[in-house]
Amino acid sequence: MRPENGPLAALFMDDNQATALSSSAILIAAVGRGSRSALKRLYELESRRLYGIALRIVRRPEIAADVLQDVFIQVWQNARTFSAERGAGSAWLTGIVRFRALDAVRKLGREIPSGDPSLGDEAVEPNVIEQIDAKAEAVALRRCLASLDENQRRCVVLAFVDGFSHAEIAQRLSAPLGSVKSWVRRGLLALRSCLQS
Amino acid sequence: MIPETPDELDALAGEYVLGVLEPHDAQEIEAALATNAELRRAVAFWAEHLHPLSALASPVEPPAGVWGGIVARLDGPARNPSSSRWWNRATPWRWSTAGFAAAAAGLALYITLTPMSSAPSFVAVLHAPQQDQASWVATAGRAGLLVRAVAGGTPPSDRVFELWAIAPGGAQPQSLGVIPPDGVLRLGGLPDVVRDGATLAISVEPPGGSPTKQPTGPVVFVGALKAM
Repeated sequence: MRPENGPLAALFMDDNQATALSSSAILIAAVGRGSRSALKRLYELESRRLYGIALRIVRRPEIAADVLQDVFIQVWQNARTFSAERGAGSAWLTGIVRFRALDAVRKLGREIPSGDPSLGDEAVEPNVIEQIDAKAEAVALRRCLASLDENQRRCVVLAFVDGFSHAEIAQRLSAPLGSVKSWVRRGLLALRSCLQS
Repeated sequence: MIPETPDELDALAGEYVLGVLEPHDAQEIEAALATNAELRRAVAFWAEHLHPLSALASPVEPPAGVWGGIVARLDGPARNPSSSRWWNRATPWRWSTAGFAAAAAGLALYITLTPMSSAPSFVAVLHAPQQDQASWVATAGRAGLLVRAVAGGTPPSDRVFELWAIAPGGAQPQSLGVIPPDGVLRLGGLPDVVRDGATLAISVEPPGGSPTKQPTGPVVFVGALKAM
């Protein structure tokens, strides 16, 4: 374990030191103690990633910008409930931005791109496995996603990355809703048993 | 209905984290997270293991005004975080979201709707730590304390809601009593702890209330008392 990520590390440094480091978990802990400079540093570190996640789901820049603002307000208010021993700060932030973005989509709706590059849309999740980070934490997910059948994998990716509902996935894949629900479920169970092995 | 078989529970938790559940099913999960440790474990498993997928969304530079907007909102009337509060330590599930702004909006609505002739001395809006919706309204004055459910007023089966107050800056919650099944709790007098800046919280407890005089279950609603 790298010392700057250890759950006890935050106890031994002041917030200026924490701000100078670039670990999200340490910064979030400092934000929880009320450090505005840590929040700024966290924004500098994470805003491009989080805005990208939000934009991919809500598809409208002005809404994604609102989502990103809400995320950092929420981080300011809730950072003290983040517990570093639970894991990476970036995963915590990902959860918040996805929750907010999905909430915005439910309230405001969005257009579902066709997946047809000839219409100017991105092709359906090309080379998904290759695009996942080669970081240690992602190795197992890469391996396990590769073991799913293609429909299951596409369902999981469209739901998590694009924030698609069952019905939207069915529309995108031109598949019956019942099949999509079953692919999601079986894909999750296959992923779980692979990830736990 | 939260399933009990491991496969069903894990699949449902995965669907929750993916975000494909219908809103009422997702709300059922969120309510159950407060009391179901297996469900918390399953949700945490998926949140951690699926997180690397988010790298498939390419990072994009956000518009220039976003940080300025955040600063403006922090400098506005919203609450600032303060030092570690007991309910955060006591809550096994680390809530991912909160709704202080929404609670403030709910408070404003409540004030708007309350006739001036019965204006209370103190008022609090309690909300679930992970939801934006105001769930309970508390008013306190010479006539005593009244806490009433606005939404989400039903505890899990075989459990009760217990109301607690914490003095401003205090660490020890003081029980104000178990909330009756109809979601309305009335106290004839005002304990000393019920004053401006005190925190009200509702925890999930065994029937009859906490056996230890301190919260034993998760805190599911929380809010601050403000003088009117």
